[in-house]
Amino acid sequence: MALLTVRNLHARVAGKDILKGIDLEVRPGEVHAIMGPNGSGKSTLASVLAGRDGYEVTQGEVLFDGKPLLELSPEERATSGVFLAFQYPVEIPGVGNLHFLRTALNAQRRVKGLEELDAMDFLQLAKEKSKLVQLDAAFMNRSVNEGFSGGEKKRNEVFQMAVLEPRLAILDETDSGLDIDALRTVAGGVNALRSPERGMVLITHYQRLLDYIVPDKVHVMAAGRIIRSGGRELALELEEKGYGWLGLESGKSTTVVAKGGEVRR
Amino acid sequence: MTSALAHYLDVAQRFHARDASAPAWLKRVRAEGLAQLERQGLPSNRDEAWKYTNLAPLVGGTFLPPGEARGAGPLATAVEGTFVPPSEARGASPVATAMEGTLIPPGQALVARGLATAVEGTFIPPGAGDLSAVVARLGLPGPRLVFVDGRLAPELSSLSGLPRGLTLKPLRDALREDGETLEALVGQRALASEHAFTALNAALLEEGALLRLAPGTLSEVPVQLLFLTRGDAPVLASPRILVVAGESSEATLVETYAGVGVGPGATFTNAVTEVTLGDNASLHHYKLQAEADAAVHVGALHVRQGRDSRFASHAFSFGGALSRNEVHAAFAGEGGDATLNGLYVGRGTQHLDNRTALDHAVPRCTSRELYKGVLDDKARGTFHGLIRVRPDAQRTDSRQQNRNLLLSESAQADARPQLEILADDVKCAHGAAVGRLDAQALFYLRSRGIPQAEAERLLTQAFAREVVEAVPAGPVRERVEGLLALKLPGSARREVRA
Ligand SMILES: Nc1ncnc2c1ncn2[C@@H]1O[C@H](COP(=O)(O)OP(=O)(O)OP(=O)(O)O)[C@@H](O)[C@H]1O
Ligand SMILES: [Mg+2]
Repeated sequence: MALLTVRNLHARVAGKDILKGIDLEVRPGEVHAIMGPNGSGKSTLASVLAGRDGYEVTQGEVLFDGKPLLELSPEERATSGVFLAFQYPVEIPGVGNLHFLRTALNAQRRVKGLEELDAMDFLQLAKEKSKLVQLDAAFMNRSVNEGFSGGEKKRNEVFQMAVLEPRLAILDETDSGLDIDALRTVAGGVNALRSPERGMVLITHYQRLLDYIVPDKVHVMAAGRIIRSGGRELALELEEKGYGWLGLESGKSTTVVAKGGEVRR
Repeated sequence: MTSALAHYLDVAQRFHARDASAPAWLKRVRAEGLAQLERQGLPSNRDEAWKYTNLAPLVGGTFLPPGEARGAGPLATAVEGTFVPPSEARGASPVATAMEGTLIPPGQALVARGLATAVEGTFIPPGAGDLSAVVARLGLPGPRLVFVDGRLAPELSSLSGLPRGLTLKPLRDALREDGETLEALVGQRALASEHAFTALNAALLEEGALLRLAPGTLSEVPVQLLFLTRGDAPVLASPRILVVAGESSEATLVETYAGVGVGPGATFTNAVTEVTLGDNASLHHYKLQAEADAAVHVGALHVRQGRDSRFASHAFSFGGALSRNEVHAAFAGEGGDATLNGLYVGRGTQHLDNRTALDHAVPRCTSRELYKGVLDDKARGTFHGLIRVRPDAQRTDSRQQNRNLLLSESAQADARPQLEILADDVKCAHGAAVGRLDAQALFYLRSRGIPQAEAERLLTQAFAREVVEAVPAGPVRERVEGLLALKLPGSARREVRA
């Protein structure tokens, strides 16, 4: 059975239709990459899946593990195993990184009827998991993402994923803003979390990430739809030919992604 | 208003008649308080200093004759509001009467047998077992005086471990034994002529504490004054706390006010603290106000700071239907430093009013002020901070900040910084803000599995942290954190109430 099934999903934000009929199926163990021009709706899809406020689903459905996902609160989604690595992780001054993560893990464990971890056991676990992304222990005692560099924030997202062990991880441009070594480290961390039970959706602009994390499927999203799906070779073709090759007008409200650099609109 | 005033004047007159044998100077102080109260009347919203604060819960009930008040239903009885001083209050309810006989006669026990004997405990009033538990929970290691419903409770107090050079005395003892000292102290900082509630406190002067530090005394252990109200009788408690810190002395004083929750909690505390800091002296003052949600609490702290002295006030206001907390600091010598921190956390229909006044009367003094408010439901918080820099007070360095977090649509915060700067070579900064929880941060926490209430709690704690962590790690901070935890979103107590 599919882990995640998205059927004909339409969603609007601030009165504007953004998602216009998304179909996607992720099975356990699969890694899917979603690419596409800026503003095409990739983060919107991720937000709708994670349950962010302000998105109105006007059509379609989402099943997670065969059960309707959209009626759950964000915390219920997280507890049932959905994890979103944010494109822009939020800084939360005054809330310690470790305390935050232990609160989160224990909240999830509580719902699952598991014993909560005390501070010592959790610290042990956190230390172990932080090695995966080489996040320095100093970051764990700081406030959540406060003053973290762009790359450090992204590592922190993957670190959280490693601790929470979700069943579906949606990584929204986790590779953006990483230097070459960090990219390799973070990709290594993500690969270590690949498992036959876990599904992953990687949103990215760069084929380079897919050299490290080899996807099972690649989708191209444009103007709120998935316009092309294929294997790994699709990403290589995109890299070479740009989105124009798919008959996309990339001039108007979107920008073609240039090779090598991160593009913001 | 008139009849409420008449009620309090009456109360004071009856009190004066009962204590006809008081020393002449004390009679004068009380009479002057009465006269000042009569002259000023009770403040109303029309008074500038009380603009945001409606005193109706305090005085409303006095407009009702007893028959009418009872006819209005059982709730009316609870908030009848004819607050009377402790000696009358106990008699007012049947529960109280039962206890009365076993209580140590106020004052006498100490005078006749000394505190030590009393502490050994031949007189344990009913319910003292429960109170001991409260004292264990709220009390700090070190010397303390405990007051129950406005009266000293020797059996719960402890004067062991007083450092050399530090004197701590119940006020009723000091009134008799240290007349001359007290005559010179009472009303020196807190002027009955300027504050109606200070006048009321003076008119009913009897309970409280005297804390003296000989020059050079360094006290490591905090001195605690614990005021408990049981809420089963409409008590008016009027403690007066006098602190004199000699040159180069240093001490920590913790005033804790707590509702113990036996009754509905409609009580009235009207506390006045007067502090004189000698040159180079240092006082860390903590006020933990966690009265019952139905209580009225009015407190004023006045401090006069000598040259190079340091004063840090940390005022936590968590309880009370109406709470008014005033801190007035005046620099009398150059080089003084004052830190005024405050945290007020309200919910339901609580009204928490904060007033600070800094008088930079002399040059080269520094003041830092940070007041933060957390307001939920229909609670209202106000902050009014006056900084006065007098013409001579060159090189004053003063900063004031007030920040408020609203947790609901109907909560309200008013910030009123007031700067009167009459010197030109000064640094003065102030800021005020009212905001809500960050929706992005809230979603981030929830997306990791943290339930909404817990996420709100984390963010609220983060907001309050700055003020809480200004309290050095240790037992005082732990008490603050414990009391704060009960007030935050998602706390067990809230859920029970909801
Ligand atoms: N809260 C909002 N209010 C109005 N418009 C919004 C809102 N959120 C998203 N949009 C719009 O929706 C469209 C899709 O945005 P989204 O962030 O999903 O794009 P994306 O594919 O993730 O782009 P990028 O590659 O730049 O990250 C954009 O045009 C954006 O401006
Ligand atoms: Mg995006």
